[in-house]
Amino acid sequence: MLNYALRRFLISIPIIVVATFLIFWAISLTGDPLQDLRQQPNMTTEQIERVRENRGLDDPFYVQYAVWVQQIPTGGFGEYMLSPRPIAPDLQRVVIHTLQLVIAAEVLAFIVAVALGTLSATRQYSVFDYSTTTLSFIGYSMPSFWFALILQVIVVQIFELTGVRLLPLANLSSPNPGTGLAFLWDRALHLVLPVLSLAIFSVASYSRYMRASMLEVVGSDYIRTARAKGLKEGTITRRHAMRNALIPTVTVAALSFGTLLSGAIVVETVFGLDGMGRYFIQMLGRRDPYPIMGWLVITSVVVLMFNLIADLVYGYLDPRIRYD
Amino acid sequence: MSDPLLSIRGLVTQFDTADGTVRAVDGVSYDVYPGETVGVVGESGSGKSVTVMSVLGLIPQPPGRVAAGEVLLEGRDLLKLSDEDFRDVRGKDVAMIFQDPMTSLNPVLTVGSQIAEAIEVHRSHLSEDAIRERVIELLELVGVPNASDRFDQYPHEYSGGMRQRAMIAMAIANEPKILIADEPTTALDVTIQAQVLNVLKTAQDETNAGTILITHDLGVIAEMADRVVVMYGGRVVETGTVDEIFHSPKHPYTLGLLSSLPRPDADLERLEPIPGQPPSLINLPSGCAFHPRCRLGNDRERCRFETPERIDLDAGRSTACHFYEEMDAEIERVQRATGAEISTEDEDV
Repeated sequence: MLNYALRRFLISIPIIVVATFLIFWAISLTGDPLQDLRQQPNMTTEQIERVRENRGLDDPFYVQYAVWVQQIPTGGFGEYMLSPRPIAPDLQRVVIHTLQLVIAAEVLAFIVAVALGTLSATRQYSVFDYSTTTLSFIGYSMPSFWFALILQVIVVQIFELTGVRLLPLANLSSPNPGTGLAFLWDRALHLVLPVLSLAIFSVASYSRYMRASMLEVVGSDYIRTARAKGLKEGTITRRHAMRNALIPTVTVAALSFGTLLSGAIVVETVFGLDGMGRYFIQMLGRRDPYPIMGWLVITSVVVLMFNLIADLVYGYLDPRIRYD
Repeated sequence: MSDPLLSIRGLVTQFDTADGTVRAVDGVSYDVYPGETVGVVGESGSGKSVTVMSVLGLIPQPPGRVAAGEVLLEGRDLLKLSDEDFRDVRGKDVAMIFQDPMTSLNPVLTVGSQIAEAIEVHRSHLSEDAIRERVIELLELVGVPNASDRFDQYPHEYSGGMRQRAMIAMAIANEPKILIADEPTTALDVTIQAQVLNVLKTAQDETNAGTILITHDLGVIAEMADRVVVMYGGRVVETGTVDEIFHSPKHPYTLGLLSSLPRPDADLERLEPIPGQPPSLINLPSGCAFHPRCRLGNDRERCRFETPERIDLDAGRSTACHFYEEMDAEIERVQRATGAEISTEDEDV
């Protein structure tokens, strides 16, 4: 299995190269990265020309791309176009923040969705089933920025009515978050609303998959066999049905990780979180290709990693799949 | 005869469908005595499987419902048990082997653990090692080679015949009093069928369980059964010993089954199939459900309007035909038509 994982990782490299090349090309079409510079009144034409020359902006985009690729092994993700600051520390900071948000949302969504889907399927056509079906359609069709705003409004209303500051409305930490456990607790509280806003869509979609695959499994012959053995319904659901039903759900959940990352762009903007999403929007506004390229490489690696995780978990859940 | 081990009395099982309520089993009664094999035959939809599913309490509800009747296991009515007590009976006193071994085992659990589970649920005091030992013993009994290695294999690593052996091992794990085999060989290759039937016989000898063997294969009945129950349209139409059923059937449907199949013992020159289609349970014919297809009935008024009751001819011998007394003549007619001796005294069926 290690062999398989390694092979899959190596296969991912050309995928990432092709993806970065295409994105680099796409960014080069979006406009002049020196536009902001030109609008500054104290910039002389010579200064601008110097930047242009230093950065090789007159070269065709594939030459620029080659230059960018060459500096990755030594210079990390390089420097910003307009200032000599390195990109890597910024990226590292926002990636860590976003992973906290997204992984918390994914874990929460998966657990809640598996529970909801299982209960709906074992109580098919019950009030509970109809309610979760309705709620998941609502969750599925609700824009996450709107839901995020509604959550903020609710928290504000609670504060106005009762004077209780239930949860922080924005940012990742309080001005003085403290250290150690106090810091973590402060971070967790700040992440509650963003995680909820981000998870709601995934809960809705994963629970539908879980319900559908549970329904298929509970009608199967081996469930009847389990019943004929005299097992309790709870044991049958947990031991025999859920494990089989999890196989497709795990795949969907892991493959949807990229969707969560893009969802994070909206949620981070609404809650003012210093994460990858907000960073991406800011850099896109500046038309600076270098931080966007760095962002892209990290995102592709994360998405590909989750695809790999999906495959490995799949093999763990289903013994019919072997990696060799 | 001693008291029956299992006694099904007037069982009625219904299903609610979009087209109305269907009586899949309509007043079925038969007995199973210790150590004997009762073969249940009939076409698809005759209610053979639904009957035993009702006995095990495995009818999905809704849409299904056991509406009436008793299932007496050593005098205790299973249908009146609480869910918990019924669960205790399943897999311990009454065990079942299903039709399709390819889908009846859980693909993500090892075969050994699935058999072990059947033991564990009813004998929680046993240690894990003791259970494992017992499972390996069972796998050896049903002829799975390298049982201790095979314990940890998954169903997809077993062939179809091996899986059915594992299913048999699972069914006899707790030495049940009643063993129900629902078409145990239908999904298997002909060559494997004989082996599996042998295993079933071994298993039965080992446990001395009363066995209900459901099949539409008369060859399997001839091989395995002591007594036969013939079902049609959710009812029992004839009961008797294998010899009686094969050589002097007292119901025209049974005779139809015999004359429509090639038999190695009776040299049929021509087959005489049963005309028409099996009836739809939603819209069963009035009177005798078999009358539209019956050559003996020949559309007589009584057949069309009066539902025949079971008539006991002898101990364990019964028929549900108004005109069973004319069966001798009918058998002769069929013998002329097919050129075969049905009513032979040849015991070797």
